[in-house]
Amino acid sequence: MMDPIIRTRGLTKRFGDFTAVDELAIDVAPGTIFAFLGANGSGKSTTIRMLIGLLRPTAGAIEVDGIDVVRQPRRVRDHIGYMGQKVSLYQGLTLRENVEFYAGLYGLAGAELERRWGALRERFALAEAEREKTEELPAAIRQRAGLALSTMHRPRVLFLDEPTAGVDVRSRGVFWELIQDEAEGGSTVFVTTHFMEEADYCDWVCFIHAGRLVADAAPEELRRRYSAGYRIEVALPEGERAAVGAALGREATTTPTGVALVVDTLGPDVLAALDRVVGRHPAARVRIEQPQMTDVFRRVLAAREAAPPAAG
Amino acid sequence: MSRPRFWSNVLAVAYREALVLRHDRAFIGVVVAQPIMMLVLMGMVLSNKPANVPWAVLDRSESPVSRRLVEEIQASGYFRAPRTIHGYEEAREVLRRGQALAVLVVPDEFARRIERGRPRVQLLIDGSDPLSAARIAGYIGQIASAFATRDGPPAVRHAAPRLPGAIDVRQRFWFNPTLSDRKFFLSALAGMLLTNLCLSVTALGLVGEREVGTYEQMLALPTTPLEIVLGKLVPFVGVSYALLLFTTVAAGVIFGLWPQGSWLALLVVTLPFVLASLAIGVFVSAVARTSAQAVFITVFFIMPSFVLSGVLFPYQLMPRGVREIGALFPLRWYQIALRGVIERGAGMVEVLVPVAALAALFAGLLLVIRWRMKPRLG
Amino acid sequence: MSARRLWTLLRREVRATLRDPFTATILVAVPLLALLAFGFVLATDVKHLALGVHDASGTAASRRLVAELAANGTFDPRRFATRAALDRALVSGAISAAIVIPPDFDRALHQGGDPPAVQVIYDGGEAVLAGNAEAFLRSLIAATGAGLTEAGSPRGAGVEVVTRALFNARLDGKPFMVAGTFGFVLSFLTTLITAVSIVNERMTGTFDQLQVTPATSLEIFLAKILPLGAVFAFDVVLMVVVAGLVLGVWPHGSLLFFVVVSSGYVLISLALGLIFSATSATAAEAVQKTVLFSIPLVQMSGFAFAVRNMPTAFRWFAELLPATHYIRVSRAIYLRDAGPLELLPELGVLLLCGVVLIGLALRTLEARA
Repeated sequence: MMDPIIRTRGLTKRFGDFTAVDELAIDVAPGTIFAFLGANGSGKSTTIRMLIGLLRPTAGAIEVDGIDVVRQPRRVRDHIGYMGQKVSLYQGLTLRENVEFYAGLYGLAGAELERRWGALRERFALAEAEREKTEELPAAIRQRAGLALSTMHRPRVLFLDEPTAGVDVRSRGVFWELIQDEAEGGSTVFVTTHFMEEADYCDWVCFIHAGRLVADAAPEELRRRYSAGYRIEVALPEGERAAVGAALGREATTTPTGVALVVDTLGPDVLAALDRVVGRHPAARVRIEQPQMTDVFRRVLAAREAAPPAAG
Repeated sequence: MSRPRFWSNVLAVAYREALVLRHDRAFIGVVVAQPIMMLVLMGMVLSNKPANVPWAVLDRSESPVSRRLVEEIQASGYFRAPRTIHGYEEAREVLRRGQALAVLVVPDEFARRIERGRPRVQLLIDGSDPLSAARIAGYIGQIASAFATRDGPPAVRHAAPRLPGAIDVRQRFWFNPTLSDRKFFLSALAGMLLTNLCLSVTALGLVGEREVGTYEQMLALPTTPLEIVLGKLVPFVGVSYALLLFTTVAAGVIFGLWPQGSWLALLVVTLPFVLASLAIGVFVSAVARTSAQAVFITVFFIMPSFVLSGVLFPYQLMPRGVREIGALFPLRWYQIALRGVIERGAGMVEVLVPVAALAALFAGLLLVIRWRMKPRLG
Repeated sequence: MSARRLWTLLRREVRATLRDPFTATILVAVPLLALLAFGFVLATDVKHLALGVHDASGTAASRRLVAELAANGTFDPRRFATRAALDRALVSGAISAAIVIPPDFDRALHQGGDPPAVQVIYDGGEAVLAGNAEAFLRSLIAATGAGLTEAGSPRGAGVEVVTRALFNARLDGKPFMVAGTFGFVLSFLTTLITAVSIVNERMTGTFDQLQVTPATSLEIFLAKILPLGAVFAFDVVLMVVVAGLVLGVWPHGSLLFFVVVSSGYVLISLALGLIFSATSATAAEAVQKTVLFSIPLVQMSGFAFAVRNMPTAFRWFAELLPATHYIRVSRAIYLRDAGPLELLPELGVLLLCGVVLIGLALRTLEARA
């Protein structure tokens, strides 16, 4: 890949006896959405705070967009956008006033601000909320506002710390579409979250557990390596089951409603076979169950416990 | 609500509260750090008795007798070594800059007038701090009037004209012969600490929980709001008594100030005081909307409480209207009782008035709280 | 440092404060409250002090003595028929001072021989009260034309002292306390408000967010300090006016000089509040911490109890506190018409403290855990 836009080596943070982050080494490719997944208390927020220069690491090196964050934390500020866990909107001010405030700090004002904010307002559906006091906004709107503010000055890298916590499922989906838009526009997005399922929105996934990196790959790859596989169910009237079962291969089993099959990946051959089945049996209903990321994660941990990694 | 369940519920809440308090840093601060700090301050640091007083002498006479006068004043121990100055203008300057609090001006005919009878000196003082000024003038005056003018011929002394109507005033200071400020402060110390404790921690506790949401959770339990509130207050009553005992014993062991009167009276009068103070705390927490507000209101209630109640400054000397306002603070009555028992050896009889006043204040506060909290908890 | 960024920060700060009615109230009401409370506190002139009287003589002369004592409203005599009743009243605290006139008062006064012995008893437990009352009782008795002799001292001899107070000739306690109250308010309230403000920001996350923007620590610091500084400067003027109109206390020295010095001191206190807030997790904790440290700091700064009177070690400590020097300056300006030249040493110390504390405050703003 191209030079990573975020890179850490041996990143460690200790609070007294407690090690929050342990020898973390990651590379983030530019223009990607990088998910940093882990349970609560696993070290996600500590890591992100170190990456943006808010927290000083105990050991290790951090490079963001070519800047040595450990030695020159203030220099990253112009290059990055940040949205914290508690969305940092000032109370007592309207959303518009918050926008003007943060924009002003980045030197964005006047016509240019209008242009930029106008576009964001449209895309993020914040027009109605603009004149409201921020403490009266519902959580979903606050999240969107937080994201809009963090990208207003067109930073190269966006750091989002648990941006969807406390937001309902549907709004989460909308939110991720907005994140993907940003990535398509060329920004790199580094996201931490404890919702494992959100990994599927991302290009690359890192699992972190007790401060250590336990997995580092694309979501598909993780599924391939660590899951029980995809479960395909084809609902069929009784008569057709045997035939379809034969067509799909030895591993197919019959169920009370039809035929079931478990595969490692949804490779082209499997998809082609399903296509043929559906073509020949119009009454067939295909349902594919994707392995849950939580399941994947559990298996990753189990594998790690069984065989601790060699040094390096 | 049935009687037996009421009290068991209260105690259950109280027990839980006590466990939580053990880890509350703010609480530990109030209960441990502050008493120690105040003990040191009141017992060792703060004083109204002049010491290290800078002064100056403009001695125009420069005679042995004038020098002796200066030495005697110096020997009293209140003053630093005097600064010698040479002119009236210098005296003004030195006072204006605050380099001296008093300037003794000895006229050039001082030695001569000593022989003739009534010599006179002038004392210029900086009246900025009237308390110190009055005392220092008093001390110098005392020393001067006792100054033995030995230099004068014996005949003059015996035949000295007696001023008509001379009165021999004998002063006695009961209960505190050395007029030690320390006893004054320390005896009311328990009152200050308890006020701080009861007010700040209840206000914090109740409002803080409402913000965090556990308050609503508690309302969902099978306990009534009244039981919850009482349960929260019970640990503070216990801690208050512990603090009272600690302060009294510490003052006794470290500074030798043991209560001269009835310990029982001390314990009895503490109860209505603690209840009244806690009631104020509850009221503040009902009125404030955020915990920051609650703490602010509390702190700025404690300030006039300390000032007007008489713990640090004598309330008897305040103007009449102000004196009466001070009587609305529970701390006023409590410090009267405290000083009575600790310094004047008062017993149960003498604390009856403070107890009654405190009980009345408590009852009044309960009414106000009930009126205010009804719509909320109902 | 960017002027535009600073302006952006300032604008937000002012907007937020103006829209918070509670803080605005606190910023105005508390200084006034403090002024009125403390202004009355240090009355050294005894007024309407209940004085127990047991007149065992009951003659015209003794009645005249009591009348003189009551004459200008200093004492309110309360008669007690028996000595026992008087003693009980002292023990219960109903009265704090008493005078006992012996049966032979009249005779001893007009005959030769020993002068009559009048007993004045004070409740020494009320040491402060007793200390004050004593001084004035002496002067009062002297003023009734009677001479005063200490038991056992050579009679008719001794040196007469003519006393004149050069500043505050009437020995009024109010100017002293008013000037000191500025010190109290500007130390305590400023530190408190700053600490709470910063901690609130840390809690809502806006503080972190600010750190990630291009705003520099100096800009953030100034944006916090300047609006609050302006408010407190306004407070100073307000307090001067209220003290003058309500308590009759006006500064003898230059008002402008006073406001300038006070504003400078405000900056110092604000920096201190910033430092306190850096170590607190919640607003309530910040307040507790501030209160815990500020109360003794104020007590030791000579506000109500002279630094001079403290034991040596504590005196040295008190001299390290900026509050001590500010209160000295404040009193010098109010009571003695002191100017910058006379106060150079104190101003120097304040400047030094300011530089150190502001430096520390900037450092805490930059600090990463």
